[in-house]
Amino acid sequence: MKRFTCAELRYYDGKEGRPAYVAFGGKVYDLSSSFLWRGGRHQALHSAGESLTEALREAPHGAELLERFPVVGELVEE
Amino acid sequence: MARVAREMVEKTGINVDQLVELLVKNAAAELTTYYYYTILRCNLIGLDGETIKEIAEVARIEDRNHFEALVPRIYELGGSLPKDMKAFHDISGCPPAYLPAKIETVEDILKVLVEAERCAVRQYTYICNLTAGKDHRTYDLALSILHEEIEHESWFSEFLGEGPSGHFMRRGETSPFVSKFLK
Repeated sequence: MKRFTCAELRYYDGKEGRPAYVAFGGKVYDLSSSFLWRGGRHQALHSAGESLTEALREAPHGAELLERFPVVGELVEE
Repeated sequence: MARVAREMVEKTGINVDQLVELLVKNAAAELTTYYYYTILRCNLIGLDGETIKEIAEVARIEDRNHFEALVPRIYELGGSLPKDMKAFHDISGCPPAYLPAKIETVEDILKVLVEAERCAVRQYTYICNLTAGKDHRTYDLALSILHEEIEHESWFSEFLGEGPSGHFMRRGETSPFVSKFLK
């Protein structure tokens, strides 16, 4: 499984044709096919290429919605 | 724009541009759901489908009412709707409630309906959390819509055999909570 640092993850911001990846709980998910992540933005609040581990605590949904999407790697320390 | 009304919300620390964007996304979700529910309703046929058709119709009309109620608040806060209807569709805060490609039982349609309502419940819960004690008017509006979305979810969930919802279908007028914003 591919390993991403935070710096590498930032490339996958969902803009200009790049895939939309986000990290949660150490895993990296590919949300490119999600209607709600078009253009790499989600609900005016979140951007692809970032870790959502903190943000998901305040989200009105749990990790179960993320788990519908493929895991493409894991997030590692810089 | 209601200048002072916006200033009052800004003073609470809410990012008003972000809030407006959320309201526009939810207005888009309501109007597109109204459209997609029209198709779903037309396909609720046969003995099982007819049982649900009336309730789906109430949810459809109330979602349109939610759109109508959200629009003035968007403009009060200095926002606006996109001029392009296609762009409006694509920024919706909830995914399109498409008619399933293959319908074997009425449950296939019910699953689409309940997922759409659950998305709406999440959306308005978030807006309530964001505005509670700060932006009283948006909070009141979002809470009123949330009351109705929770009832919609309850109706469809019950039909899916998820247990009793404690609710009965509307008797009389639609939008008992949101109608005060439509007068």
